[in-house]
Amino acid sequence: MTDDALAPVWLSLRVGVLALAVTAPLGIGLAWLQASRAHRFRGLVDALVLAPMVLPPSVIGFFLVWGLGRRGPVGGWLERAGVRLIFTPWAAVIASSIVALPVLVKAAQPAMEAVPQELVLVARTLGLAPFEVFRRVVLRGAWRGVATGLLLAFVRAIGEFGATLMFAGNIPGRTDTMPIAIWGAYQAGNDDRALGYVAVLTVLGFLAAAFAARFAPPRGVDR
Amino acid sequence: MRRRAALALLGLLFLGCHRGKNEEGKVEVSVGAASSLRVVLPKLVEAFGREHRRPKVVPVYGASGDLRKRIQDGAPIDVVLFAAPEPVDKLIETGNVIADSRKVVAHNRLALIGPKGGPKVGWHSLETLAPGDKIAIGDPEVVPAGAYAKKALQALGQWDSLAGRLVFGGDVAAVLAYVRRGEVAAGVVYMTEIKDVADVLVLEEARGAFAPRADVVAGSTKGVEGASHAGPARSFVEFLSTREAREIFEANGFELPR
Repeated sequence: MTDDALAPVWLSLRVGVLALAVTAPLGIGLAWLQASRAHRFRGLVDALVLAPMVLPPSVIGFFLVWGLGRRGPVGGWLERAGVRLIFTPWAAVIASSIVALPVLVKAAQPAMEAVPQELVLVARTLGLAPFEVFRRVVLRGAWRGVATGLLLAFVRAIGEFGATLMFAGNIPGRTDTMPIAIWGAYQAGNDDRALGYVAVLTVLGFLAAAFAARFAPPRGVDR
Repeated sequence: MRRRAALALLGLLFLGCHRGKNEEGKVEVSVGAASSLRVVLPKLVEAFGREHRRPKVVPVYGASGDLRKRIQDGAPIDVVLFAAPEPVDKLIETGNVIADSRKVVAHNRLALIGPKGGPKVGWHSLETLAPGDKIAIGDPEVVPAGAYAKKALQALGQWDSLAGRLVFGGDVAAVLAYVRRGEVAAGVVYMTEIKDVADVLVLEEARGAFAPRADVVAGSTKGVEGASHAGPARSFVEFLSTREAREIFEANGFELPR
């Protein structure tokens, strides 16, 4: 592949890494919150986090443009502060993060729930601070599930298309991630170009899925 | 019962397939036309119908490149009316369009448009836009208006310097929508696309040496039904160069070949 053809590959990887940087702390934190206690907003948080999994990407894209576009309630405020998100790589990062988040939470939360409650209680009675309990007991017990979640979330982030197209647009060299480059090449009848990215994403997707299937604990905890 | 229903369905299918002649045995001429002619073509068809009783003209709209592929695959289209010469010329090469029927019937002009209240720029000053401001054009590989926009920007020597700021739309309507929503500072569309659009401003029409001439090209195909359509198809193509047709093109924002 030439440099020009490789650009979408590098861009996708960058967007994926940045999206993971956003998603990882948020997703692991949310999974812990949801797994550890029955708080009042549990159902609401669940619905908000999981909704992007079942909503059409165009709906997510619409909300993003509507809210964070230059004339949107949040976007307009950012615009006055000198920050513009729409049609930038950051827009792609945001769209990717939203769809990647539920993937991570869905994998991490059950793994955390499977950590025996007694262990957590014992650690607490032995005087560990809450964060230390999380780090040394919960995370250590659930790390396979969390790692699987991170991997799948990364691949999902790289594969985001619909909301990205609406919010980040198709700007060659700037926002044309692999999925967007596939769409552009396909429309232009340039199937050979599309095929290269299709191959990269197919291999990546299969590898991640196969790895996740082998790596995830079949059930319960891994100590 | 089930058998009868199946037969009826088959009959319907045949009715559906049997295009070309309507109930009274009149010949129908189908026109494969570029989406950018969506407004002017019905008016041309109406005027043609007033003069000629005989062939009924049925427009089929699509992207020029896409229509070309369909005609090569044998779609029953008798006349082509495209927004650019290249797809017509390719169809002449492949033997689908009759070479001596090819005719430039009108020209379209590109316009640089912007949202109301947006920055005031012209074709020569696009580089002065703030770094975060984007410009929308049609995807040059898919949309003829986008290919013309690329030609114009190349002729102005701005194509390379604007890289990373050009948002590609899947068709002209998408470009127009980006501008109307104010998400881009400028966009490039045909003049004829914005005739009745209220909330965009024409920043500058494309005039001068850099401006590519967007030819509207007509031609009649060899057709799939043979000679019965050739005459009527040709009469419609010829009608497109009559004074009456030229007036309609002009009234809809097109320019005329001499």
